[in-house]
Amino acid sequence: MKIKNAVIAISLATSSVVMGLGASTVYADWPTKDIHLVVPYSAGGNTDVLSRQVADLLQKELDVNIIVENRPGAGSTVATGRLARGGRDADHTILMASPGHVIGASIYPNLPYDAVSDFKFIEKLLDAPNIMVVPSSSPYNTVAEFITAAKSKPMTFSHPGVGSSIHMSGELFKTLTKTKLTAVPFPGSGAALPALLSGDVDVSFENASTVLPHIQSGGLKALAVTSKTRFKALPNVPTVIETEGYDLGGFVTTVWNGVIAGNDFPDEGVEVLQAALQRVKERKEFTEFIDKMGAEKSSVSGEEFKSFIASEVERWKMVAEEAGVRQN
Amino acid sequence: MENFSEVLSLFFVWDNFIAIAIGVFLGVVIGAIPGLTTTMAVALALPFTFSMEPVSAILLLVGIYKGGMYGGSITAILIRTPGTPASACTLLDGYPMAQNGEAKKALKMSLYSSVIADIISNISLIFFAAYLAKIALNFGAPEFFWLICFSLTIIVSLSGASVLKGFLAAALGLMISLVGLDPVYGSQRLTFDDYNLMDGISFIPLLIGLFAIPEVIDFYQRKVASKIVINANGKEVSWSEFKRCLKTIVRGSFIGVIIGAIPGSGATAAAFISYSEARRKSPNRENFGKGEIEGVAAAEAGNNGVAGATMIPLLSLGIPGDVVTAIILGAFMIHGLTPGPLMFQDNLSLIYALFIGIMVSSLFLLVVGLGAIKYFSKIADVPKEILFPIIVMFCVYGAYAVNNNTFDIWLMMGFGVLGYIFNKTGIASAPFLIGFILGPMFEDNLRRSLLIGNYDMSIFFRGPITWFFIVLTLGSIFFSFKRWLAYRNK
Repeated sequence: MKIKNAVIAISLATSSVVMGLGASTVYADWPTKDIHLVVPYSAGGNTDVLSRQVADLLQKELDVNIIVENRPGAGSTVATGRLARGGRDADHTILMASPGHVIGASIYPNLPYDAVSDFKFIEKLLDAPNIMVVPSSSPYNTVAEFITAAKSKPMTFSHPGVGSSIHMSGELFKTLTKTKLTAVPFPGSGAALPALLSGDVDVSFENASTVLPHIQSGGLKALAVTSKTRFKALPNVPTVIETEGYDLGGFVTTVWNGVIAGNDFPDEGVEVLQAALQRVKERKEFTEFIDKMGAEKSSVSGEEFKSFIASEVERWKMVAEEAGVRQN
Repeated sequence: MENFSEVLSLFFVWDNFIAIAIGVFLGVVIGAIPGLTTTMAVALALPFTFSMEPVSAILLLVGIYKGGMYGGSITAILIRTPGTPASACTLLDGYPMAQNGEAKKALKMSLYSSVIADIISNISLIFFAAYLAKIALNFGAPEFFWLICFSLTIIVSLSGASVLKGFLAAALGLMISLVGLDPVYGSQRLTFDDYNLMDGISFIPLLIGLFAIPEVIDFYQRKVASKIVINANGKEVSWSEFKRCLKTIVRGSFIGVIIGAIPGSGATAAAFISYSEARRKSPNRENFGKGEIEGVAAAEAGNNGVAGATMIPLLSLGIPGDVVTAIILGAFMIHGLTPGPLMFQDNLSLIYALFIGIMVSSLFLLVVGLGAIKYFSKIADVPKEILFPIIVMFCVYGAYAVNNNTFDIWLMMGFGVLGYIFNKTGIASAPFLIGFILGPMFEDNLRRSLLIGNYDMSIFFRGPITWFFIVLTLGSIFFSFKRWLAYRNK
């Protein structure tokens, strides 16, 4: 009987530790303990893989452990909301933000936080363009040809989920070109690719890392890149902005990643992290890593990062309203 | 082949064997722990592979994947808690077998079936990759839609005594799967403005709650200590039993291979389809769900058949079929390799070295699995008064660990109560689960087909694959109905 009761007691105790929340502590120097790096998505995605690589390098710079935690939910807004709320370990918790941060803010009006004022923006790490791709069997070879065709007949674009940067890029393109594009959702880019390769859908604005191999193998044709300047991995592919005869100046959509924290995060920590992350960006491992992801280093930091976020939120809010994906 | 010696020198290095051994071992252990999924294990192992040679790196991840696929069945059989979603089906007969004192037999059958399915899946990968990849590319939303329709007909065979109750359970599962964001418009459905419900009901808390918790409630309610003895030292699988199951295993393996080759379908569905096919064909039909060894064999063949086959779209097309292969794709990219047709031109030796490694990993699975059975089956000898509190602890931990969210613990407990009510009222849990898993796939593919076809219905009849599944679906409904009539007139 004694053993039985002891086991029950231990089990209950362990369960309640998991369920409970501890008290917060404030320390003078920073970092005084392990740092939690929150990934607002499930393990295995681009943001997750990047975060683990960054954590590994940051650990070498700061001499404390960096614990990577996955907190997926509602397009990154669950984890972001928790970060804004602060609480336990808020002074040692950072989050790997991505376009989901601004898109979330533009499609959910009832978020319990403000995507700009509730956070400290530490360091933007990288930018990667999306690529406008069509199946190799597609008769269109330029953006202009595609737009002309899409004005006269209904066409489809694939995306890996409502509110993803790829989805919103498609919606933005549709709005700017006034074409008859229909969004076709897939559960992830992996599931969307076969439909694109086989010609079930007409176009997509996929992440560079996803479609580059298929462009190289000839399965897909790249019509344009969505960044402001041409992409160094595809020097012969024009930007969407370069399209003649259409004013597509507003069509710049990049996928980015950057480190943010809640307002309870100490300013001293921001400074330490900025310096450390800038050193991480200079490391050979980091450069090689983002090269393989098809991304480019970003040099945006602090206030500049914050104003970037503010302008992105405004822009995507307009796109979301136009496309009818803003929740009410 | 001129590069044969290069292939051998790429594969026969100690690092590869160590990578496979560690991978399979980790996979089995993590797979066996409820809430720790194979996906999580593969993702966590990924950074460690950055500094490894490409072949060892990929083999480590593949080892975890394969080990995890089997490991999930251990706890499913012993404590009715599926370690991974794909092992939920194994529990339907595995746990009753354990209750009858046949835990060891169930565990061994599940291992043999997993290993055989694994080998068949590998062989399909090596020899039929190009052919299966072509099918996969032709498998668009309409084809998927009909595959799901066919799969839904298995609800009848999983309903237990009452088909009506089975349909009720399936409908309830379907309704619960509707919670979350609309897949096309992103509007909220049944979320009550609660952020925890925005992404829908999490699968793992539902699974753990539905199966593990009712046993616990039942135990404490009856307050009968260890009336049913789960005896781990029971008999081995006899040769005649193995022979009887072999056909089921081979059939299940091929079902797994086909489903695995199609991106975005998944091992859980394969296990259930294989199970229901086995039941349909078996002379021991009535014994399914009560501890039929063939049921265990079928379920494990189905889910392990998927493991090698998911590498088909990855290697031949560069398309990851599920989250795990997406991570493995990441590992390839990190090493500067790009899976797809070009890899067969540029890195053929490497691919063949990988193939050898994948075959070897199946043999390692057998060895590691036998060891795991020896140690894990001691769980069954633990007195229930001690075991059950520990199970509850693992349930709480498992539910929490998926999303690091306490909400999921309450969810798990809620489904525990539901599972208990199901048990008391004679409603089978399996149809509920099928409704929950297949419901969203049904809806997604229906709506996706309509969007792609611009609301022209002819897209649903566009080719031989759609017709193939239409015929299968109608056939399945017809035979179920015929059997039901015969049963009623008896």
